[in-house]
Amino acid sequence: MKADTASERSLLQATGLARAYRGGKGVFDISLRLSPGEVIGLMGPNGSGKTTLLRMLATAATPTSGQITWFGNSNHRDPSVRRRLGIMLDQPAHFEQMTGYQNAWFFARQYRLGDGLARERLDELFRWSGLAEARDQRVAEYSLGMKRRLSLVEALVHRPSILLLDEPTLALDYRAELDLIERLQLLSLTGTAVVLATNDVHLAERICDRVIFLHQGRVVREGHVPELLTEVAGSKEVQLQMNSPIGLENLRALSAVEAANVEGDTVHIVLARGANPAQVLAVLNGTADLVSNMRVRRPNLGDLFLKLTGVALPAARS
Amino acid sequence: MMLAGTIWQRELVEFAQRRRALVVKLAFPLLVAAPLVLSRAPTIYAALALTMLVTIVGAIGSGAVLTRERQSGLTLRYRTLPVTPGRLLIERLSTSALIDFVQLTPVVVLVALRHPSGFAWWPALLLSMAAVLLIGNLLGAVASTLSDSPGEVMLYVILPLLPLLYLSGVFSPPEQPALLTISRLLPFSYLYQALVGALGGQPNLLPWETVLGGFGFLVGAIGLTGRLGRRVLETD
Repeated sequence: MKADTASERSLLQATGLARAYRGGKGVFDISLRLSPGEVIGLMGPNGSGKTTLLRMLATAATPTSGQITWFGNSNHRDPSVRRRLGIMLDQPAHFEQMTGYQNAWFFARQYRLGDGLARERLDELFRWSGLAEARDQRVAEYSLGMKRRLSLVEALVHRPSILLLDEPTLALDYRAELDLIERLQLLSLTGTAVVLATNDVHLAERICDRVIFLHQGRVVREGHVPELLTEVAGSKEVQLQMNSPIGLENLRALSAVEAANVEGDTVHIVLARGANPAQVLAVLNGTADLVSNMRVRRPNLGDLFLKLTGVALPAARS
Repeated sequence: MMLAGTIWQRELVEFAQRRRALVVKLAFPLLVAAPLVLSRAPTIYAALALTMLVTIVGAIGSGAVLTRERQSGLTLRYRTLPVTPGRLLIERLSTSALIDFVQLTPVVVLVALRHPSGFAWWPALLLSMAAVLLIGNLLGAVASTLSDSPGEVMLYVILPLLPLLYLSGVFSPPEQPALLTISRLLPFSYLYQALVGALGGQPNLLPWETVLGGFGFLVGAIGLTGRLGRRVLETD
């Protein structure tokens, strides 16, 4: 299977994809190409279209226009296509009255794994995921994190050529997140392509080769991670935690400020290259006592997203 | 621990693991049927009540289960499996109909023990019951795409069933030729006739005609289930 994967130049190609929902939401005119071993991150705030796009790539939703080919085949119902996809959807869906192992066994067997191979791989994956002790427990008794880890086991067991993961680190503890990153890096080295829908800036920066920013269903920027980071290199993000709301007009008028946005009680400000955070404080002169906390940090993909769209990514705040 | 590697095995494993539900499922039809079969209830009324029981058992279960699965995201997960929607739905609904059949087996046994002289009708009874159960499951599956609420889905199932049962001649024998023809085009009429025969009454059809009707509807239901796979599983 891996030999096939490595010899295919493009595992997945999507052209002009759109899926519209009532109320004007959806995704519009999206094209992407996925090569063996490549890791692509889909980033954007909630409602930006990440999940819709991932579902279309995972054959769970049909585009209203555009075309997707998987391994050169455009029939999304073809079992030979689906057999080579590993999917973790946003909502962990399991048979709650069955045990974790029964669930994983059922899904493994759908991908035509023989008894011995399924048992061997599941044993290894249950150990890896930390679910070994809970494998005979009913899924109804699992926590959300355990259910998501079980979804990962089910997505990985048949060693797919393409992994499509929706928010894979959501509800995982730090240790599990590191294990997942390590596993994905290893899979990528052996030719497995990965598409992640995530708001986790650190995850995207660590493992993605390319990132696609989605906003209101459209691609606002796409590129290799180092290339994208140069767009905000030298700038800084300032986070101000406020005791009471302030207007952003004065801040936005500053040439030193590239973007400013307020989320809850925190104001996020992306400073231009070489700008001094003191310039921000100068604007707040007289109201500076409203600031209860201030943080300055190096820029990341979340800051670029803020700069491009004026909207902060939920996880980019941390 | 029982492991299920196929869709139909999984349905059976889950059914077998829910012991309390299993007992209730087996006891419920028997509780309804026993007074009808053991007492001196007129055959046509007993057959009417049992036809309704079989129809409702088939339709309600699958409708509620599929609605819950749609809400929990399992339908979406099923959609990504390397199995065609038609095959998937046939496997799921035929297993569900089989479980319903098992659930109703004590009732059939009771009928056979109480009226052994009606043995000529048993093949017709088994076939037409299988057909009605599969069609009921299919109706429930289609209804599950219409609403997110299991209660509402049950309503969508019952609403068309009542006029269909009437048109099948279950409530009163069709007298006009047009109604008689319509009744022959509906699977419930064959089940009703088979039950009347098995309960020792005077049906309007011969056993072989009822066998043929039941068999035809069973094959037709399997084909229709395969055709409706996409409609049921790919509707958001």
